Amino acid sequence: MTTVISTRGLQKHFGRTIALDGLDFSVEAGEIHGFLGPNGAGKSTTIRILLGLARATGGEATLFGRDPWTDAADLHRRVAYVPGDVALWPNFSGGEAIDLLTRLRGGMTDKTAYRERKERLLEVFQLDPKKKGRAYSKGNRQKVALVAAFATPAELYVLDEPTSGLDPLMEQVFNREIDRVARDGATVLLSSHILSEVEELCERVTIIRAGEVVESGTLAELRHLTRTEIAFVHDPAKEAAVAALPGTHDLVIDEGRVRFTVDSDRVADFLPDLGRLGVQGLTVAPPSLEDLFLRHYGDELAPVEEEARA
Amino acid sequence: MTRLLVLLRQRIRRDRLQLALWILGTALLAYASISAVFSTYGEEQDRREILGVAIATRTILVFRGTPNGIDDGAFAFFLLFAWLALMGGLMSTFLAVRHTRKEEEEGRAEAIAATPAGRILPTTATVIHGVLANVALGLFIALALIANGLDATGSMVWGAAITVSGIAFVAFGLFTAQLFRTSRGANSLSVTFVLAAYLLRGIGDAAGTPSDDLLHVTPAWPSWLSPIGYGQFTGAYVQNDLTPLLIPLAFAAALIGLVFALQAVRDQGASLLAGRAGRATAGPVLSSSFGLAWRLNTPILLSWTAGGIATGLLATSLSSVVDQAATDAPQILDTLRRAIGSEASIEEAFVAVFYSIVGILAACCAVQVGIRARQEEAHGTAELVLGTRVPRLRWLLEYWIVGVIVIVIVLAASALAGIAGAGTAADPESLIPNVLEAAAAQLPACLVFLGLTLLVFAFVPRATIAVGWTVVGVAAILGVWGPILQAPEWLVDLSPFAHSPVPAGGETDWTGGFWMLAIGLAAGAVAVWSMRRRELASGG
Repeated sequence: MTTVISTRGLQKHFGRTIALDGLDFSVEAGEIHGFLGPNGAGKSTTIRILLGLARATGGEATLFGRDPWTDAADLHRRVAYVPGDVALWPNFSGGEAIDLLTRLRGGMTDKTAYRERKERLLEVFQLDPKKKGRAYSKGNRQKVALVAAFATPAELYVLDEPTSGLDPLMEQVFNREIDRVARDGATVLLSSHILSEVEELCERVTIIRAGEVVESGTLAELRHLTRTEIAFVHDPAKEAAVAALPGTHDLVIDEGRVRFTVDSDRVADFLPDLGRLGVQGLTVAPPSLEDLFLRHYGDELAPVEEEARA
Repeated sequence: MTRLLVLLRQRIRRDRLQLALWILGTALLAYASISAVFSTYGEEQDRREILGVAIATRTILVFRGTPNGIDDGAFAFFLLFAWLALMGGLMSTFLAVRHTRKEEEEGRAEAIAATPAGRILPTTATVIHGVLANVALGLFIALALIANGLDATGSMVWGAAITVSGIAFVAFGLFTAQLFRTSRGANSLSVTFVLAAYLLRGIGDAAGTPSDDLLHVTPAWPSWLSPIGYGQFTGAYVQNDLTPLLIPLAFAAALIGLVFALQAVRDQGASLLAGRAGRATAGPVLSSSFGLAWRLNTPILLSWTAGGIATGLLATSLSSVVDQAATDAPQILDTLRRAIGSEASIEEAFVAVFYSIVGILAACCAVQVGIRARQEEAHGTAELVLGTRVPRLRWLLEYWIVGVIVIVIVLAASALAGIAGAGTAADPESLIPNVLEAAAAQLPACLVFLGLTLLVFAFVPRATIAVGWTVVGVAAILGVWGPILQAPEWLVDLSPFAHSPVPAGGETDWTGGFWMLAIGLAAGAVAVWSMRRRELASGG
């Protein structure tokens, strides 16, 4: 396995603001890597450094083992990039922007193949290529950038919150495209602030917060960090039996429903017990990134809550 | 009513610095220029002479006004009114578009329209804001004139004429905002209209009928098409007649009525001239980053080239008129010789003045190319391009090359237009080398402005747009209008335009040109080279 992305002690300061404070993470070839963090954690800054659009204040970042700042243009032959906030030329149509970006990436060598790929992508993403850039909504601008990214094969796809403007149907289309490029052996770096989205696609994730990595590993490894919420209709007759279940946390009875959380890697253990109780209206909600942060890294939030309670 | 006041206060607050600079700056310019005029042309004989020259050459009238005698007030009005009205016009149309189409384009107008303020009230607030700004401009100019010891009544008439022509331009700005989908489209049509208003009254003055004493001119009909022309008809300090101002006021009222009618029936964000659907695939030009830079700058190039062609045509075609006037009245020829210098012929002096204007147009075009690079960066589209295999250094280098090309095209087009216009001159063949030299002489100064704008882009990206326009604007005022406005020599010398070689009498001193060529190339090279270390500065 070769390392495609690697950072060591990566630092980025904007004046006095410290955006990245010693970031270490790596992505291996062929991996779909989730890059998670709340807004303002430093995800986009990291991505921009990896693409040579911004320069690291300190530390080291390499892309395919080379320096992304000095070798930017050369490295970009192997990279497809979708920025977090896609801007298009207001006077050019989406189709023109896609063709332009493809040509700049050198993806026009086989015109027929490119045209077929482009037509297929326009079809599946349901994008009208004749609209002018200024007339597209945020979601459609994102689709333009995605079609441009997927229309030319790349070794590495860097996607900064690519689904934030897409509807659920389009998210499925997007997931299929990611599966497709992954099957072809490409590496994908997918940033997001939504844990479930990353869970569906990624084998490994890196979670950052305030410019530092807080967790990195496979999803199975991170499972212990999270708790899944289980809820069902409250039946007073079974109250005692529910309370006796082992391993539950935060049990509450609220608006006629029982809610509690269990460690995510132990959800299956509970199912027989719940079956014996014959619970009605059962829901099992996977943990969100917000839950994870509140539970494990809520050190800064906690005092605020205390104050609120006081 | 409270909502209207809220919207109005928001406009005033947002514009306070910008409008204060426009208004006080213009008033200060008026004050300083008039002091200078009085110290230079204090003597009655000097004024008679300069009016005689202006009326004889006609073209000088294009850039000044309607001669109306040699009294202090009337003489100042002749020299400065049209210029101040031009400044007020630009202030007014930018104001109108900024608060209407620009807001719609950015989506902010939608947030306002969704409140009880609705779609129409913001436009009403903009009309009031524009009227107030122009009243303030007229008032401060009148005060500047009175402070110079000019008669109060005439000064108030002058101020009123500035206010009214400004209001007409506000109305026109609002109208263009209804027409176009983008603020860029609206701004370019309104700026064209303001410049056309200035030039139409200029042509009216130049083609007017002079009186026997060569101190007065009755403007020809083109002046009747221009709000600035009606301002001149007031004859401040002499006739003091406010009735001509009723026509631009009626024009403004009709146009504003039309604006409200259009706004009442159209959708929020829509425009009268619909944006067309684009093509599904990119054309051959859009196949490289250079092609992209070129495509992004072609609209800019076209508009400045049109200006260059018009100026070039005027330069030589009007010179035949001058020649005619000089032949008809030999005593005028003597006056001209004394005023312009015996070395230069009348035609040469003419061509030199007009091609210095062409130089400003080409420099503006080059500055706008540099600004385009910044807009690409701030908008985020540069990030898309630099995310592909385009190196940073090459990206800016391509903008520099496009800048050089647009300068050459504007200058070449104006030279060709000048040659085409020379057909009517007495001796066309002798005029052609003169035109070619005069056009080529503008290249170095233009390269300086291109280099400066890219330097600002490289080192203080967020200031690119403001500094780029300010530098070229101030330099144009100092270098070309500075001598007319009697600015001190050291101040004029700060402007690159002042160092452009002037072909005259068969001898041209190219020293200034070579220096500026070196400075321009060096500035461009430093800017491009600095991209090695510069990261993308998006936003702001």
